[in-house]
Amino acid sequence: MSAICLLCSKPLKHQLTWNRFIFNEQQPVICPTCHSKFECVKPEQQKSPHVHALFHYNEAMKDFLHQYKFLKDIVLKDVFRQEIANALKNVDAIIVPIPMHPDKMKTRTFAHIDELLKAAGIPYTHLLEKISSESQSSKSKSGREQSAQLFRLKLDANIENRSYILIDDIVTTGTTLEQAKAILIEAGAPSVKALTLIQG
Amino acid sequence: MRKKLSKLQSNKCCYLGTLENPSIRDFLTGRIWLRDHSPYSEEQINQHIQLGFISNLPGVQKLSHTNYICNRCANKNPTLFIKYHCAACENYCVYCRHCISMGRVSSCSDLIKWIGPAPKKSSNHPFTWTGTFTPYQQKAANELIESIKENRTHLLHAVCGSGKTEILFPAIHECLKQGKRIAVATPRTDVVLELAPRLKQVFPNTNTQVLYGGAEIDNSYAPLVIATTHQLYRFENAFDIIIVDEADAFPYTHDETLQQAVIKAKKSSSPIMYVTATPSDKLLSQIKKQQGGYSFIPRRYHGKPLPVPRYDTLWRYTKRIESGKLPRKLINWTHAQIQGNRPFLIFFPTIALMEMAIPLFQQLDFNIQAVHAEDPDRKEKVLKLRAKNVPGLLTTTILERGITIPNVQVAVVGAESGIFTSSALIQIGGRVGRSFDCPTGDLVFFHHGISVEMDVARKEIRRLNQTELSTI
Repeated sequence: MSAICLLCSKPLKHQLTWNRFIFNEQQPVICPTCHSKFECVKPEQQKSPHVHALFHYNEAMKDFLHQYKFLKDIVLKDVFRQEIANALKNVDAIIVPIPMHPDKMKTRTFAHIDELLKAAGIPYTHLLEKISSESQSSKSKSGREQSAQLFRLKLDANIENRSYILIDDIVTTGTTLEQAKAILIEAGAPSVKALTLIQG
Repeated sequence: MRKKLSKLQSNKCCYLGTLENPSIRDFLTGRIWLRDHSPYSEEQINQHIQLGFISNLPGVQKLSHTNYICNRCANKNPTLFIKYHCAACENYCVYCRHCISMGRVSSCSDLIKWIGPAPKKSSNHPFTWTGTFTPYQQKAANELIESIKENRTHLLHAVCGSGKTEILFPAIHECLKQGKRIAVATPRTDVVLELAPRLKQVFPNTNTQVLYGGAEIDNSYAPLVIATTHQLYRFENAFDIIIVDEADAFPYTHDETLQQAVIKAKKSSSPIMYVTATPSDKLLSQIKKQQGGYSFIPRRYHGKPLPVPRYDTLWRYTKRIESGKLPRKLINWTHAQIQGNRPFLIFFPTIALMEMAIPLFQQLDFNIQAVHAEDPDRKEKVLKLRAKNVPGLLTTTILERGITIPNVQVAVVGAESGIFTSSALIQIGGRVGRSFDCPTGDLVFFHHGISVEMDVARKEIRRLNQTELSTI
């Protein structure tokens, strides 16, 4: 029984490379063909200096996100674990995932951002709470910019004098991240940056 | 969206005490459906469960310590079940990845099916086909009806271009007249899309549902369902007859759960009718074992023999294409077709090789295009070829069956490749000379060494052509 690619179901050939041997890199869970369909965001293509995005929102990424978030295929959390780990492993900052509304969590049955971080082996702290249960993706661009407060600080949140990195799956207009950032800054965080898997 | 739908339903249907809601009944009869995805409200479903009209079962069931079964697609492969901590149950749940594209089935999501009274059936099914059969077709059509009457499995083995679809018409009509529910299932979406308009045309008053990935689902009861074999996962104990068209096509033969799906979707005593031009030995022996009916049509409807492939060497074609040059023979062949204004298909063993070759072909004629399984414009490109808007198409085995283009010429590049099995090669050859006006055409296997499968295919085509015509 050999492993298969999580996206196309073709058998995976595992290769032991020096990097994997010495630096304990994770085995890929998708085949090279599927992997090549995802497009990395190059440094000059980053839309904002404060938000670092890993991938473009192309056809393959659209399908990935659909299967992960809407078909609720939780194993897909492992697909980008190496990329996420590489982006966050040597960073001295507190990692804060964008939270989900508890109602949404019940219907999706898992917190998709937390799972991405868990798969990458990155420790994180929840400092924010989602207060509205409407989803951003159902709104138009102007609707998003005008939207009311999405988050509040958790009651037990303790803001230290360190830098913070917010984590989200996709950045489109940046409203979500802006709001979350404002709350952390107001609570006394000296610097807040963001990392997203996708740039829409 | 779902909320809106259920509101609409409850406004439209007046609920009458202990009677079933006819809309729910018609929709759910024969189906096995994710409860969360049903177009009806939770309240309505609960009411029907209490009345004993709907039964409720868990999506994924535990068989043993590490083994599970998906109650929708019957998948048992342990690598396709994922156990995870579910936030809704605050416990560990298991879901099935095999049929996840139809909505996730998990141990904490329920499937529902109808166990209440059956829907009212109409026996008024006018049949408006005016064509005529060749004696071979007539004989096969009669044998099929006989098998239906005797409730036995049947194999219709008919060469490419013998008019298989028409042979099914009288059999389908016979079933509909008897108030039976019938499914025409095939592994290929292209075949569903080709069959559906033809069947709707000859049964204009029959409620027909066409189901494939991405199709709209309507909530009525349909006595005639045309579906991909995948869609049969969503049916249980539903059909009195299932016709499996192109029974040897990928992925049906490779995926046991699809074969299970056909068996699950039919009623336990119902027969299966297999239709194919290239039955596998396994299928032939299965029919023999079950003492099923067998019809054989060795001739095309226009009576002309099948085109016999010719072999031509194309040494080191991969290397040559990789280095950015087309082999001379391939250029000459393509030129000849373009100059003769004959549409052509060139089959490639892999998408990668085809994509390397397409710019080289476009130097010969800019309008030459390529199609493969993931191409969203596949249908349009084939239509363009038929309308002669493009001179020819490069393709993978995806176009090996189900398409008819008058006067098409066919070349197979790398016919010795593993993907070109004898049945694939026979099907590919079956694209040539299908129409009455152009019953012949060129069929060439360009190769880097002759494979056994190529010889088997050519031998089989010759055998079919030599079969005595007087066996009726």
